[in-house]
Amino acid sequence: MADGSPPPGPDPVGPAPAVRPFLVTSGRVANTASGRTMPVETQVVATVAGLDALDGLSFERHDIVAACRLPQSLAELAARLRLHLNVVHVLAEDLRSAGQLTVYVPDFDSTHDASVLRRVIDGLRAIPDSRGVLRDTD
Amino acid sequence: MASEPSPTPEGYSVTPTEPLVHGSAAHTPVRPPLPVKMVIAGGFGVGKTTTVGAISEIEPLTTEAAITEVAAGVDDLTHTPRKTTTTVAMDFGCITIDPTLKLYLFGTPGQDRFGFMWDDIVEGAVGGLVIVDTRRLDDCYAAVDYFEHKGIPFAVAINAFDGAVEHTLDEVRWALDVTDGVPLVVFDARERGSVRDALLVVLELALARTEG
Repeated sequence: MADGSPPPGPDPVGPAPAVRPFLVTSGRVANTASGRTMPVETQVVATVAGLDALDGLSFERHDIVAACRLPQSLAELAARLRLHLNVVHVLAEDLRSAGQLTVYVPDFDSTHDASVLRRVIDGLRAIPDSRGVLRDTD
Repeated sequence: MASEPSPTPEGYSVTPTEPLVHGSAAHTPVRPPLPVKMVIAGGFGVGKTTTVGAISEIEPLTTEAAITEVAAGVDDLTHTPRKTTTTVAMDFGCITIDPTLKLYLFGTPGQDRFGFMWDDIVEGAVGGLVIVDTRRLDDCYAAVDYFEHKGIPFAVAINAFDGAVEHTLDEVRWALDVTDGVPLVVFDARERGSVRDALLVVLELALARTEG
């Protein structure tokens, strides 16, 4: 992005990507294959096969698999790689089909389960008032 | 924190394509947490990102997403809602509850004369927090209507800018026309403890509904 001249006027969301977003998906826009849509918090993780194939992957696909050494939500992935969320949807689906990414679509019955909600409540209650308080981060 | 790796983590409807264990010892076993989603809604500039940032363990991230937009229909002679797709920026953050559970907070885009169809972002959320600036109550009607229509548990949180609230809670409740079942709280979007308590009100409501 450093080689392009800056666009005129203020840009609220940062510089425009060098490549039109849906060029990398060959024009596909969303969720074509699997039927069920993937919510933004869907977790994705690289597979061993994906990490082994990393050197052969190009551009966005490489970046996605590399970033997914640790579990990520689709939203985090899109934000960190500065990709349009819907582009990440399409590419994640491709990489899943190729066995290079595992996609965990959350089951809403589980996330709405009373025991899960109680754990979230207990976890939140443990958060101290002020940011200045030391917390265990690891 | 390493737990016994399991090929089928609880709470997922999709079986992984292979067990979540990386073969080499160089990688820790990775098992994704169950993601629980809450939505932070409200008009433009009302403090959604501040709210997320006050409690998120990461700096709020911004991503762009395409959502369906329904035109207001003021110049539509057919009275058929016109739907178009618009790209909006969405801020979000997260809180790791434990290695198996993670709370995501998504700030939905503000809106003015358009009604956004937030389904793409909101579907599956356990609850919503509608942030209100009492100087601009109009800005939150769309969010209140949306959660009511969808049956998603939500609370209304009045952001007390500089400690000032221009109307009493009763006045706000009357103006928003929300039932007594919808909690109304005053909070400060900049204060972590205050944001935490507002989120807890929503979660308690969601829990009560699950149990009731």
